[in-house]
Amino acid sequence: MIRLENVTKVYEGGTIAANDVSLDINKGEFVFLVGASGSGKSTLIRLMLRDEPVTRGKIWVAGKDISTLPKWKIPYLRRTVGTVFQDYKLLPNKTVAENVAFALEVLGRPRSVIGPQVEQVLDLVGLSDKAVRYPRQLSGGEQQRVSVARSFVNRPPIMLCDEPTGNLDPKTSVGLMKLLDRINRTGTTIVMATHDHAIVDAMKRRVVALEDGKLVRDDETGGYEGLDSR
Amino acid sequence: MSRVIFLMKEAMISLRRNLLIVAGAVLAVFISLSLAFGALVVNEILRVNTLAWQEGVHVIAFLWDEGENGVPVNAHATLEREVQSWDEVKNTRYVTKSEAWLEYQELFAGQEELLEIDPTILPASIRIELEDIDLYSSVRFRLDQQQQTVREVRTAAESIEQLQTLSNFLNVFGLGMAIVLGLAAVVLIANTIRLAIYARRDEVSIMKLVGASNWFIRVPFLMEGMIEGVVGAALAVFFVWLGSTNLARAGEGFTLVRLDVATDWFFQWGLLFLIFGAVAGIIGSMLGLSRYLRDAEGTGPDIPTGF
Repeated sequence: MIRLENVTKVYEGGTIAANDVSLDINKGEFVFLVGASGSGKSTLIRLMLRDEPVTRGKIWVAGKDISTLPKWKIPYLRRTVGTVFQDYKLLPNKTVAENVAFALEVLGRPRSVIGPQVEQVLDLVGLSDKAVRYPRQLSGGEQQRVSVARSFVNRPPIMLCDEPTGNLDPKTSVGLMKLLDRINRTGTTIVMATHDHAIVDAMKRRVVALEDGKLVRDDETGGYEGLDSR
Repeated sequence: MSRVIFLMKEAMISLRRNLLIVAGAVLAVFISLSLAFGALVVNEILRVNTLAWQEGVHVIAFLWDEGENGVPVNAHATLEREVQSWDEVKNTRYVTKSEAWLEYQELFAGQEELLEIDPTILPASIRIELEDIDLYSSVRFRLDQQQQTVREVRTAAESIEQLQTLSNFLNVFGLGMAIVLGLAAVVLIANTIRLAIYARRDEVSIMKLVGASNWFIRVPFLMEGMIEGVVGAALAVFFVWLGSTNLARAGEGFTLVRLDVATDWFFQWGLLFLIFGAVAGIIGSMLGLSRYLRDAEGTGPDIPTGF
């Protein structure tokens, strides 16, 4: 589903954010990208989203080489990839339902499709009763669930999550992880960058550890421990 | 259809949110197009009046009285026949001394001191309408050769030529003004759109994040610019029309000058100005967007430096 082949990303000024990373992620997998701040987790997520171009190497997402993808085709890539960020990225002047519907509206889906799909996904994330509320009227956990709903409403085969629990307390984080787990069980591939030890240990999923942009560990069902012990 | 509604809604939201900036852009378009349209209306009034004057008498030849200064009897009729035979001349009309006196009385009715003149001093004349106004100098030259019968030659052509020069100047001036002010309006709309993008940078970054194409992101801003252009142009057309209508009403009593402009003319040019406003708005928006979405790849706001 996702393949990184000798991917290197060097930012202006010479900072190496990813250093010859090769990685294969299969369909339906749940993969944690772990590492300290500045290890290159978020850079990998951005590269997979083609938010940044690679300096060297190749990246395939859903069978397409996105490292050579023309700019005009980038939106099509993003329609197949749902994204969740630490800062939720919700529109403050739109309600919960409108925020979720926004993802379908920009794709030009008809209203007859948007309504039921939004309702369904809000039901999945447990926010049906808060559909008409504004983000400022919700807790952090609820806002992140809206963000998950928005990224999943289009039923993308891949979801990229960059520190989605970064702003949440442990209890709320567990709730969110349960939600992502449910989504993963529908067949959606999830790649999640995090430095939350407890979550990685509890989920017992594949762990890819990064250090100074280099891939240093790839465990099938690992925990955060391996990285700490280094 | 739902996509169109969505884009319209987004454009309206943006217009509402940046009301003050939008009002500024609309005002700029309004002022620039009002001046340009106003110049065009003045030019049209001049054109209509020039045409009206061109249709009348172009040259008047005042004649010596017959039987005096060696002017033979029947000299007037002979001269009129000759003038009528010239290629440049379309029509002639002989005005006798008594007709001239009647005309004089009509012209200065109520001004007793002017009417206390000796009617015999008013000369007979030949009023000449030309095939083409530009031929007046040749006719004048030929009449000047008839000094025995012709006392003086007067022509309206010089005045008409002056009006045409003024009209030509207004054409160039109006066009120049329309170009300069139109460009100013375009630049102002471009700035408005840049500010609108800046105000909506979060929304735009989320649109990119969920896979909206660049064109989909651009369209509401293009619509916004177009609406600003059209509203500004519509206001300009309306106010110039209002001004022109009032001017025409004020000038209803004038016999020599027409200040009214045909409704058809207003409709055609008004429509053209609306289209110009729309095009200027779209061009302004594209300029405003060009730096922004040119290399847009990431999901970030891509706000150009300088904001």
